[in-house]
Amino acid sequence: MFKQTKVWLVVTVALSLLALGSACSKSESETSTNDASSSSAKVYASKGDEGTVKGVVSFNGAPPAPKKIDTSADPVCAQNNPNLTTEDTVVSDGKLANAFVYVKEGTLADGSKFADTGFPTPSEAVTLDQKGCHYMPHVMGIQTNQTLRVTNSDPTQHNVHPTPKNNPEWNQTQANGAAPIEKKFARAEVLIPVKCNQHPWMKAYVGVLKHPYYAVSGQDGSFTLKNVPPGTYTVAAWKEGGATGSEKTMQVTVAANGTAQADFAFGDATASTKPGLQMMPALEIHFGRH
Amino acid sequence: MNLNRYAILVACATFFLIIAGALVTSHDAGLATPDWPLSNGQVFPKMVGNLFWEHGHRLIATSVGILTIGLVIYLYRREKRLWVRRLGLFALFAVVVQGLLGGLTVKFMLPLSVSTAHATLAQLFFCTTVSIAVFTSRSWLVDRPTLEEKGSLQLRHISVVALMIILVQLVIGATLRHSARWDQDLPKELLFIHIGGAVIVTLILGTAIFLVLRRHPNEPFLTRPATFALALLATQLVLGLAAYMTRLASPYDPQPLNPMVAITVAHVACGALVFATTIVLTLRTYRVLRPGRAYEFAESAQNA
Repeated sequence: MFKQTKVWLVVTVALSLLALGSACSKSESETSTNDASSSSAKVYASKGDEGTVKGVVSFNGAPPAPKKIDTSADPVCAQNNPNLTTEDTVVSDGKLANAFVYVKEGTLADGSKFADTGFPTPSEAVTLDQKGCHYMPHVMGIQTNQTLRVTNSDPTQHNVHPTPKNNPEWNQTQANGAAPIEKKFARAEVLIPVKCNQHPWMKAYVGVLKHPYYAVSGQDGSFTLKNVPPGTYTVAAWKEGGATGSEKTMQVTVAANGTAQADFAFGDATASTKPGLQMMPALEIHFGRH
Repeated sequence: MNLNRYAILVACATFFLIIAGALVTSHDAGLATPDWPLSNGQVFPKMVGNLFWEHGHRLIATSVGILTIGLVIYLYRREKRLWVRRLGLFALFAVVVQGLLGGLTVKFMLPLSVSTAHATLAQLFFCTTVSIAVFTSRSWLVDRPTLEEKGSLQLRHISVVALMIILVQLVIGATLRHSARWDQDLPKELLFIHIGGAVIVTLILGTAIFLVLRRHPNEPFLTRPATFALALLATQLVLGLAAYMTRLASPYDPQPLNPMVAITVAHVACGALVFATTIVLTLRTYRVLRPGRAYEFAESAQNA
């Protein structure tokens, strides 16, 4: 009997080890190094003729009602923010807030590729605060190697956990009253989800770009990309929702000292929306000047 | 408390630990604290939010570890069979490795391979504690008449095959669970493999149960675990379907919601029970069944 049991145990252990070996490692498979912020890139020098890309992000049809978040797992959250709701589709008067709009690719007026152009990194930090057991802002942008300062304004403990694909992942506890956490992302990545594993409803999205041409739509759906070098660009708007969000793109041409209009629409009866952060064919072109 | 009751206690505590672990995964609480073995640098942190699940799991795991040490001491004092004492040592080894895997998965931020290994070793450890409970039970130790295997399909062999297939299915299930958090879509390929595994488990375990009930209907030593296994298998299939349906909507939820958490955890727990019941059935078939004349004749004819 012992011999049979021993054989049985050895077989089960061997089988499990075999299965474990075949289980592919997520961390190993997700080490893409598509770093656009190459140090050898030609740094853009302002010529004083930069333009602007302006637009409005709309939401067609009836937006999904915000979902109530149950914060009772942490009494501090339940007390400080009992009416917390989801922020994935914030719509007022048909205008969508929290859409991340950015220049995805393009060609400058002098013919050089936008992707091959470098831009200086701002010295000031960008702040992501935890207040009322949710992240403020919900969606934000930052340049590669710019400092992200995470603060905790709540009288409870959080942990800050970005889950990037192209940058190193980190997870750090931040007690109430603790010093800000300061981190940098070396590689461009749109967008990095940030979560708090202690409060699983807490989500934020950080768009990391090698350039400064990004914005988040406000409550009126409007956005402005300032000081854009003259050229032709693919501008993308990303909206949170589902597992990966959805993105729309369009081509715009920014004339010297000009303003290009780029309006996006999500929701029903819009042009095709592709899940995930993938490039879409050009949808419409608007031109404008000051 | 006699040895067998203590062994049953350890097995029940292990089952409770598997549920606690499943709750951690379903709540996405595995990284509620980035450190290990302490939680946020403390032995007893304020257990709010998901830290309740993660640190609770650690406390239960510590208790099971202590219970396992007690089991080994108990076995070495009371148990005469050397192989049973060694099985206790293996359980202790497994629970130590399991604790280390738990630490590794936190430290390396839940890599799929380590998390799956952690979930799989949990089932193997449970299997070991259930086996010790069976080997020390009165029903195992009393003299029993030997029964002949009837038919060419040996019940003992098909029970072992069922056990192996269930283990593989548990590993696939663990990989599936750890491949996508509650706010991500489940990988379709793995999902189809898991569904295919469920079909195979149903066929093989179903055959084993059918053979027990047909060939040995008056032997409760065998029919009892077989009947339990049948009921659990049916429950598990229903829970699997329910878990899939709640999980489909999960990425659109603001947080892991109770129906999804309850059903997926019940699916994990029921899977562990199907495994445990099949272990009991398999061990019992080896306890009372011997190759029948027809089988021996066929074997000798083949050898000749």
